Amino acid sequence: MKKFARIASLIMALAMVLTCFVGCTADKEGGATPGEDGLVELKLGCIGPLTGDYANYGTSVQNGVNLAIEEINAAGGVNGFKLTIDFQDSQGDPDSATAAYGKLMDDGMKISLGTVLSGEMTAVSAAAIADEILLLSPSASAKDAITGNDSAFRVCFNDPQQGTVSADYIADNKLATKVAVFYQSDLDYSNGLYENFKAQCAKRGIEIVETTTFTKSTNTDFSTQINAIKASGAELVFIPIYAAEASTFLTQAYGKLTDIPLFGCDGLDGILTKVSDTKYAENVMMLTPFSADDTTENVKKFVDSYKKNFNATPDQFAADGYDAVYAVVEALKKAEITPDNFEDDDFNSKMVAAMTQITVKGVTGTMTWTADGETNKAAKAMIIHDGVASLYTSEK
Amino acid sequence: MTTFIQTLIDGLSLGSIYALIALGYTMVYGIAKMLNFAHGDVIMVGAYAVIASVSMASLPPVVGLILSVVICAALGILIEFLAYKPLRKSPSLAVLITAIGVSYLLQNLALLIFGSEQLSFPQVINLPDFAFAGVQIKGVTLATLVITAVIMIALTLFIKTTKLGKAMRASSEDKDAAELMGISVNRTISITFAIGSALAAIAGIFYGASYVYIKPTTGAMPGIKAFTAAVFGGIGSIPGAMLGGIILGIIEKFSQAYISTLWADAIVFGVLVLMLVIKPTGLLGKDIKEKV
Repeated sequence: MKKFARIASLIMALAMVLTCFVGCTADKEGGATPGEDGLVELKLGCIGPLTGDYANYGTSVQNGVNLAIEEINAAGGVNGFKLTIDFQDSQGDPDSATAAYGKLMDDGMKISLGTVLSGEMTAVSAAAIADEILLLSPSASAKDAITGNDSAFRVCFNDPQQGTVSADYIADNKLATKVAVFYQSDLDYSNGLYENFKAQCAKRGIEIVETTTFTKSTNTDFSTQINAIKASGAELVFIPIYAAEASTFLTQAYGKLTDIPLFGCDGLDGILTKVSDTKYAENVMMLTPFSADDTTENVKKFVDSYKKNFNATPDQFAADGYDAVYAVVEALKKAEITPDNFEDDDFNSKMVAAMTQITVKGVTGTMTWTADGETNKAAKAMIIHDGVASLYTSEK
Repeated sequence: MTTFIQTLIDGLSLGSIYALIALGYTMVYGIAKMLNFAHGDVIMVGAYAVIASVSMASLPPVVGLILSVVICAALGILIEFLAYKPLRKSPSLAVLITAIGVSYLLQNLALLIFGSEQLSFPQVINLPDFAFAGVQIKGVTLATLVITAVIMIALTLFIKTTKLGKAMRASSEDKDAAELMGISVNRTISITFAIGSALAAIAGIFYGASYVYIKPTTGAMPGIKAFTAAVFGGIGSIPGAMLGGIILGIIEKFSQAYISTLWADAIVFGVLVLMLVIKPTGLLGKDIKEKV
């Protein structure tokens, strides 16, 4: 029996070694052969939660990415390439995301759209440093998610930016001078936004009259926090939290915080599908660079074809995914990558260098990137009325 | 003053849910002498049963509620039969670990069947909310308090006066002697589990009505808090469970309101530790001497 086990393990080990080689050879051969349409496949990869608590974010990004890729391929590809996407499900777990990244690299991914969530991106961008592959995350917003990796970029604002921009937006539009904050103290995303919001409020003369928190283990009953906010006389509540907890908060605050607008960031995306009744989300504001009822031509076109394809209104995550693909296209053009040179060793460095030179007119605004991977674009705010989110205008 | 009263009301609301869950914990412990850590997850099953029957299968709310109680009672018997009965003669540690296993099994089954997205609990209990002097009281809160009190009294009477209740107490005191007196200990314990789990279903229904959103992990934290409440009130004591639950809910809400939302849980469990140091049997627990 022992002998059998030893032989079996030997065979297994041998098989593993062999599969490695098979992988390598297939990779080299598959690359530069044009398909029937004369286009060479260029493989993009992305990782995000398609199932689980945060599935709505992953699915939105996936839809946006798919739509952009379809459009580009239908228009004849880019520089002789046909783009393909391999979207891996991580369930929002950083370890699964790292494993998925390894799998994508083994499968011949040339450009990575990173991950959807910040926690995943932190893990993946650290794991990818040695590969020097371009990582362009649509929506990982935590400040540290791309630091330390010179090839990592993002389409969305980072959290500090969101906190800062929120305070600026509130001050610029004179929404309130006294605000309350309700945030999740054991969540990086929420903490990051709060810290920067607080700092910017001090600069802009906004007074924070009440700060209340909750944690993952106390996320079911917010009555005390709501009472405290109500008693504080705040004119606006800043809620830099995710939609799942926000739906609980909104349901319990219904009727208690009437007339006080609630102001959140991209974490609130998808809130209308999370609440049991859309009346709970009345008057909720969301800071976003993307608005589905923006009338700009490219946004309208994107929204229409998204609605046609997925039978849903695109949210900010979908728009981020869509823009990420177009940014990759611009970078491919700028770096003059063609099927003749895309397997050269300097592919990655050319793409990374191109990222800081391009300007992309995306559906989330006109973007440029700095060498640290951050983007510059304008912010807008959406407001929910009668179950519909629309662009906020201060005249209303 | 308004804040004080509102916090008190919120504490009562939370405490009444804890009390309802703690009743099931304490009953099973008192009679079967085991900690059924899966109790919290039976609550989650009860809530999902209502969602499945009312929201998904569009059955009338009353049918959904009854179905939920029946499903949970059956589940209680099944869990006892499959997981705990084979271990009746084993050390209590083995049963405890098995209970934790059952708890995770139920959570993951729910994850498989319903997915991890939170689902909304249907509005099966429609009661008007009250408001006076700036304080809001939810109808559901009052209903939970009343139901918990009624169940507490009914359970006490049931165990004190009925034949089955006597059999339960006898099995609790000495299994072998009870068996010799012609009591079927196995059947008695099965019934105990059925009643305990039916109570969990009721707790699940009121939890859903109060907090609306249900996830596979919904039962875990309230389960632990209710267990704390049961120990606080004196585990095995039925009025103790109710008292413990309500006191715990009030402590939690007051520490959130007047000390810090960050410290609330630490304070709740700190109070438990303090209680166990000062009075190890809990508020209303009986000090039973082990006979040698």
